[in-house]
Amino acid sequence: MAAEQHTRDNGVKRRHRQEGPQKHVMIFVLSAVLTLIAFAAVAAGDVNPVFAVLLLLVMAVIQVFMQMGYWMHLKDKGHMLPIIFILGGFLIAGTCIIMALYWVWWD
Amino acid sequence: MTTTHAEPVHGGLPHEPEKATAEGRNKVLAFWLFLGGEAVLFGTLFATFLALRGQTNEGPSANELFHLPLVAAATFLLLVSSLTSVFAIQAMHRNRPKLLRNWLLVTVALGACFLGLEIYEFSEYVRHEEFGMTTSAFSSAFYTLVGFHGAHVAFGIVWISLLIGQLAYKGLTVVTAPKIYVSAMYWHFIDVVWVFIFTVVYLLGKVG
Amino acid sequence: MAQAAHTLKSPKPAAHGVKRYTGLMDWITTVDHKKIAILYLWAGGFFFGIGGIEALLIRWQLIKPMNDFVDAQTFNELITMHGTTMIFLGVMPIIFALMNAVIPLQIGARDVAFPFLNALGFWTFLFGGLLLNLSWLMGGAPDAGWTSYTPLSGAAYSGTHGVDFYTIGLQIAGLGTLIGGINFLATIITMRAPGMSFMRLPMFAWTTFITSAIILFAFPAITVGLVLLTFDRILGANFFVPGGGGSPVLWQHIFWIFGHPEVYILILPAFGMISEVIPTFARKRLFGYSSMVFATILIAFLGFMVWAHHMFTTGLGPVANALFAVSTMLIAVPTGIKIFNWLFTLWGGSVRFTTPNLFASGFIPTFTMGGVTGVMLASAPADFQFHDTYFVVAHFHYVIVGGLVLGLFAGLHYWWPKMFGRMLSETLGKWTFWTFIIGFHLTFFVQHFLGLMGMQRRVFTYLPNQHFDTLNLVSTIGAGLMGLGMLFFLANVWITSRRPPDAGSDPWEDGRTLEWSIPSPPPEYNFKQTPLVRGLDALWKEKAAGNKGMMPAEPIGRIHMPSATPLPFLMSAGIFIAGLGFMFSRDDFASRLVGFLFNNYIVTGLGLLIAFGAMLMRSLYDDHGWHIEPEELEGR
Repeated sequence: MAAEQHTRDNGVKRRHRQEGPQKHVMIFVLSAVLTLIAFAAVAAGDVNPVFAVLLLLVMAVIQVFMQMGYWMHLKDKGHMLPIIFILGGFLIAGTCIIMALYWVWWD
Repeated sequence: MTTTHAEPVHGGLPHEPEKATAEGRNKVLAFWLFLGGEAVLFGTLFATFLALRGQTNEGPSANELFHLPLVAAATFLLLVSSLTSVFAIQAMHRNRPKLLRNWLLVTVALGACFLGLEIYEFSEYVRHEEFGMTTSAFSSAFYTLVGFHGAHVAFGIVWISLLIGQLAYKGLTVVTAPKIYVSAMYWHFIDVVWVFIFTVVYLLGKVG
Repeated sequence: MAQAAHTLKSPKPAAHGVKRYTGLMDWITTVDHKKIAILYLWAGGFFFGIGGIEALLIRWQLIKPMNDFVDAQTFNELITMHGTTMIFLGVMPIIFALMNAVIPLQIGARDVAFPFLNALGFWTFLFGGLLLNLSWLMGGAPDAGWTSYTPLSGAAYSGTHGVDFYTIGLQIAGLGTLIGGINFLATIITMRAPGMSFMRLPMFAWTTFITSAIILFAFPAITVGLVLLTFDRILGANFFVPGGGGSPVLWQHIFWIFGHPEVYILILPAFGMISEVIPTFARKRLFGYSSMVFATILIAFLGFMVWAHHMFTTGLGPVANALFAVSTMLIAVPTGIKIFNWLFTLWGGSVRFTTPNLFASGFIPTFTMGGVTGVMLASAPADFQFHDTYFVVAHFHYVIVGGLVLGLFAGLHYWWPKMFGRMLSETLGKWTFWTFIIGFHLTFFVQHFLGLMGMQRRVFTYLPNQHFDTLNLVSTIGAGLMGLGMLFFLANVWITSRRPPDAGSDPWEDGRTLEWSIPSPPPEYNFKQTPLVRGLDALWKEKAAGNKGMMPAEPIGRIHMPSATPLPFLMSAGIFIAGLGFMFSRDDFASRLVGFLFNNYIVTGLGLLIAFGAMLMRSLYDDHGWHIEPEELEGR
């Protein structure tokens, strides 16, 4: 229906505002910076291991959420079910990881 | 790359051709569901790796093994390829098949470089470090997790290459557009998984 | 098969130059969800029969102490294959059969979201199941139990190819299940008729939706587990090998992170079927519909958080054991909500005890007993006593047979006329019910006591004079009665298939949901006009308003149909060949040629070539489908 309207209007009345690349380049730059910080922190050596683990994980999660939100359009309208199912997957994955960290080896 | 914001749509192809048909919408939705399953798949592999990361069986450990420059190079190749596949989808939304094809070609090329680096890395470990699948529980977990990701990259390369062929043959239509969109989702997901791999496997492996 | 083929013969002439297959090719190429349902039913029934025979052999071996009917090795193979076959190849496909037959009709859809994937899911399941059962003919069946605990299932202690058949067969069959799950999720999300909001979905559609979500999140975990075990066994990896640094406990975790949700994959569809049958025959709407939906979602969520209750005795420690004990007991709450809702639905209704309703009413107390022993097992300290005894065997047969199988019987008797256009005989149906349920309680009720008295599960025989003798004899007699019940059911199916297809569109007369608004069996396109749904129990609502049928949501128009294709079959066959090739890649062969083909992964490569080739064909050649014209719909 929408498509028919486009052709009839010859693109005069209803133009779609195309999103530009700037936003995505921004996400890329942010991802790249986070990645660089992560590598640099480890390459520099003698960081507090607990701090390093936290820092690295937080940065990875930020990066992943930004990419999924913008590059995979999860922040756009009409993505409730995809969000529910991808978070469901992350939840079960997280459960597996808790299992691996706490319940495989013990004294 | 033009930055025109209100470009008219040509040739009667709707603005978001991947969502123009019920089949297309179904495909995109089902692919999200599939990625939910993939998240569990990689989650289980990560869990296995985390459980067995210290079990080196007197073989090499993560700290002895990994060379960060190589990993950093691979990481940036994949990150850039994820960006170029965003550009590809933007070109598709502007109905510019040639530009779309070019960005897809760049994406595939970057993916192939990433895969080349990974194969080089694995072969170095096997040949010079005596670190094979059977060395230790750590080695088995490492090769399986990173190898699964590598296999996903390889599949993505073949898939997107075939789609480039289809694009040339069939053109950009409401049938081909959902396929391209879904392959781009897949490619982003591979990059997302890699973010966790370089963090958890390589960087945390170095931290110890 | 003859009956099925006859029933579903298309009444319309082949039209529009579309290629229409007949006979066997029709079944191999079909993408019609109603035919795929029948394929699932026959294939699932076939494997269910094999699993049932294995069960009878197990019971025959245990009929008396020190019996030597089978040896210990064969007994191990029997119990392993009985569990694996029944769960993955018997009941799950029959669940999928009913989902395929009913769900698109219940939501007012002409088809599932992905007809091609639907067929692919069936064929991968079938080839995976065949691969698994080929083990009987090719050097021995898997023998490490259906849970295949390591290191017993590792290469060091399980030298035959049995466990390889298990790992690779289940990976292939699991792929089919995952595909089916995604298909049903997408179907229920996107294909609902106008007005069919989520809170107007029939309960069976809701449980199918939630079950499919559990499949989506649980099956990748077992796939990974099976891949790791395959790598251990064939490539010499060390995941579960203690000598190489691996952890056998890790296998148990991965298995049960899948395995516990799996039991909810089994039971939730049964809950759905019972929730359809009881309101129909109580002639009352389902009591507490929204609490049923809520309980289903809660069960699915909790189902993922309780897996370690299978591992209380591994030594996880008091904190983990307490945590998992509490979360397990929590599941009794939503399940209890469901039990009470069914009872309140029956309460005050004008109840008709037809065969489906007999099974549904038998389900409620039987399943409740299984639930109660479940709470007993959830108590970690008590579990140290119950663990690995016949008490556990009794518990899970009460929930799986007393719950799921009774539910399946209810569902099959209920929807049989919709699937095949013929009512099953009520007389034979009641014989089935009484022999089966009496046999069931005889078999498994006594096993609670056998367990409490200390009889271990999975032992191939036992010494006399431990008070085990009589109870085991009773149990075996019960198993025979259950077998008799199955024979009554098969006789019923056979006799019914000889009768003319005369079932009306609403043969139970009190149908409440959309599937009863269209002919039995439905035409290829299901709904001539998509119905407009105006409330929960859409058809009942129209009946109550004095309308003859559903109000259409659209004028009569062309209907688009997907084309039949052999590609799903070919793709699955390719995966089957690849699996077989990989399994034997490290073997020595008498023939040098065969050895060359297997040892160089040529067979594996060929199989993958077929599978990916078929996938490529699917991608390259667009399926434009075909149309049914309005004139044909009007019968002109």
